[in-house]
Amino acid sequence: MPAESGKRFKPSKYVPVSAAAIFLVGATTLFFAFTCPGLSLYVSPAVPIYNAIVFLFVLANFSMATFMDPGIFPRAEEDEDKEDDFRAPLYKTVEIKGIQVRMKWCATCRFYRPPRCSHCSVCDNCVEEFDHHCPWVNNCIGRRNYRYFFLFLLSLTAHIMGVFGFGLLYVLYHIEELSGVRTAVTMAVMCVAGLFFIPVAGLTGFHVVLVARGRTTNEQVTGKFRGGVNPFTNGCCNNVSRVLCSSPAPRYLGRPKKEKTIVIRPPFLRPEVSDGQITVKVMDNGIQGELRRTKSKGSLEITESQSADAEPPPPPKPDLSRYTGLRTHLGLATNEDSSLLGKDSPPTPTMYKYRPGYSSSSTSAAMPHSSSAKLSRGDSLKEPTSIAESSRHPSYRSEPSLEPDSFRSPTFGKSFHFDPLSSGSRSSSLKSAQGTGFELGQLQSIRSEGTTSTSYKSLANQTRNGSLSYDSLLTPSDSPDFESVQAGPEPDPPLGYTSPFLSARLAQQREAERHPRLVSTGPAHREPSPVRYDNLSRHIVASLQEREKLLRQSPPLPGREEEPGLGDSGIQSTPGSGHAPRTSSSSDDSKRSPLGKTPLGRPAAPRFGKPDGLRGRGLGSPEPGPTAPYLGRSMSYSSQKAPSGVSETEEVALQPLLTPKDEVQLKMAYSKSNGQPKSIGSASPGPGQPPLSSPTRGGVKKVSGVGGTTYEISV
Amino acid sequence: MFTLHELRRSASLATKVFIQRDYSDGTICQFQTKFPPELDSRIERQLFEETVKTLNGFYAEAEKIGGSSYLEGCLACATAYFIFLCMETHYEKVLKKISRYIQEQNEKIFAPRGLLLTDPVERGMRVVSFWAVLCEGTGLTTSGVPGEAARKWGLP
Repeated sequence: MPAESGKRFKPSKYVPVSAAAIFLVGATTLFFAFTCPGLSLYVSPAVPIYNAIVFLFVLANFSMATFMDPGIFPRAEEDEDKEDDFRAPLYKTVEIKGIQVRMKWCATCRFYRPPRCSHCSVCDNCVEEFDHHCPWVNNCIGRRNYRYFFLFLLSLTAHIMGVFGFGLLYVLYHIEELSGVRTAVTMAVMCVAGLFFIPVAGLTGFHVVLVARGRTTNEQVTGKFRGGVNPFTNGCCNNVSRVLCSSPAPRYLGRPKKEKTIVIRPPFLRPEVSDGQITVKVMDNGIQGELRRTKSKGSLEITESQSADAEPPPPPKPDLSRYTGLRTHLGLATNEDSSLLGKDSPPTPTMYKYRPGYSSSSTSAAMPHSSSAKLSRGDSLKEPTSIAESSRHPSYRSEPSLEPDSFRSPTFGKSFHFDPLSSGSRSSSLKSAQGTGFELGQLQSIRSEGTTSTSYKSLANQTRNGSLSYDSLLTPSDSPDFESVQAGPEPDPPLGYTSPFLSARLAQQREAERHPRLVSTGPAHREPSPVRYDNLSRHIVASLQEREKLLRQSPPLPGREEEPGLGDSGIQSTPGSGHAPRTSSSSDDSKRSPLGKTPLGRPAAPRFGKPDGLRGRGLGSPEPGPTAPYLGRSMSYSSQKAPSGVSETEEVALQPLLTPKDEVQLKMAYSKSNGQPKSIGSASPGPGQPPLSSPTRGGVKKVSGVGGTTYEISV
Repeated sequence: MFTLHELRRSASLATKVFIQRDYSDGTICQFQTKFPPELDSRIERQLFEETVKTLNGFYAEAEKIGGSSYLEGCLACATAYFIFLCMETHYEKVLKKISRYIQEQNEKIFAPRGLLLTDPVERGMRVVSFWAVLCEGTGLTTSGVPGEAARKWGLP
């Protein structure tokens, strides 16, 4: 009988077992004392021996059934229970030999009960292969002691039958001395035996049937397999042999403790990561079933690594050359089985309490576009910074903080990746994202393997403990860290251009840091354009400088003063219209160059609306140039070339407010920038077409930018 | 220096990956061989699968119903189960083998990768857990304490 620590001693539960013991032992003792001597004389001395053996057998099995641990599961530790009670589904289904079996969450023991396991309310334990709680032995009958209980029943039946039979024999021998002591006692024993025989035999027969069918009492009584198929049966013979002949199962409680010492010391080996192996999966240990993944492989990567933001980005992996290759190979296992129940079907909806976020798809969780770029940086472990950058991209539009509220809200469930990192604003969301935060923490911790930032560690710590409290995550202190950390050590892409998948702002910051010289001569009257050209090739820069010279020679145009602002805004805000990075006439070039050159310290003149001809051409139809030399994306800076044949396009650094789509477009533009005018983005008209505006010649040109902003440029 | 117990408490040091039981063939003891994504970057897939399959093999051997287990049962019956005081059961013997195997795997394969495999018997053979040490820069000495769960459970 398992000890119930902390519970009051209840004598009532010991009554049946005491009674059973008393009857058993008492009656048998009387039998041996009064009946057996006579029988040994009259019949054979083997009778008492036989009865003694049977009785011994009964006692042994009775003791084992009474005192043996039935297979109690130890309580699950906290680390296993990653979810709030309120959020976890009550049932999980698992398929056993083609039959769906439900596993219920045990609130006391904190795990999902394995099949055939049940919680005994008397003993307050989950018992493996729970049969029933037997009051006569005051113990649960489960996997470990079912054999002994069954044998106890069999042997008790045999014993009762023997006692009754031999007693009857004795009485028949002494029929004329019924009033004799021995005979009387024998008759009393016979009565007791006869009385108990009926229920015991009935129970024995019942259990024989159960064993043959491979069911437990619990299953039989609750009618689990009534009319159905029992997945736990292996046939009659196998069932019987399993009960009687299998090796006794081990106990789970009270196992001897062995101290094992294993030293774990870094550096740790890491598996080789090949292109084809990079997959992103976020699992929640199956509690919530499958996570739905979108094809935006990178998105999860971003979100998962969010917590690693605090780290300075790791040094660039040498495999940046596989940039595009890796991107294509990134893959999320979309329908990966949960780790908990490999082949499970989705959880049974009965009494299904679900965290709201879980069911939401992860698709909207992040920026699909930018994530992949981050991943392509190489080892997934090294992603965090870049991913964080891109993930924070939307926030940059508004402010440099980690609060992409609108961005993240719809993706609540699977956007748990973000949650732990958002500072301040998300307590509620964090609390509800506990489980996922935990997962994130796990994943993050794995990803952060190669990083040593303490801020990361602390963050991971937070997420790990997030299941308990997210308070530490709500401090905004980390977010500035992320940003500064990110911006600083951002590695330069070797290709000499700003990765389109980085936020423009970061790109700017980065390039500003890298090439402070380029902004040194910036005119005071103009705030430096956020556009950077640092990443342009030397050739491009040279041609830009050339144009600059040209521009300086040209007289300043009216309306130029307003250009700066317009130009800036135009520069910044016409990704849509600015897709025209196209070819430009020479005049366009000169017109455009200033734009690009702004950060390089050109005079304000180099602004949009330059000379009428320049601008107009840009906007007008004949001009192949886009009005957008608002820098939309790739601006063509072909030097003095015919519009249609731009020899090379000088890509301008990203605008600060590039949308993810724009980034993609820019990337596309860049990759095709070998003299071909490209139309980037849906909004971009064909070469030479004014982007989104109706240009007005000789007056004010209107250009529509992103978000419907219209800019008037006087030419 | 940290003990396993401390590791359990300080979540920042180790993250845990649980491999659940595979019930597809009934209640026989086997664990899922599906590779958990959290270990994707920590260990090779084949190593993991090999480990889990070996464990499954051990458990199958422990639960095997054959001549030896039958004889053991008969002997136990004949001695009124007093034999259990002297001799350990076949299952227990295999569990010891498993424990040795896990220890060996931990020393040879998992510890160099910053992982630690726990013995499932500590948790009632419901899960196998991998503890992945978080920080590269931390040297940890872990002492496995099987049965700690039992001890914990036994506490009032």
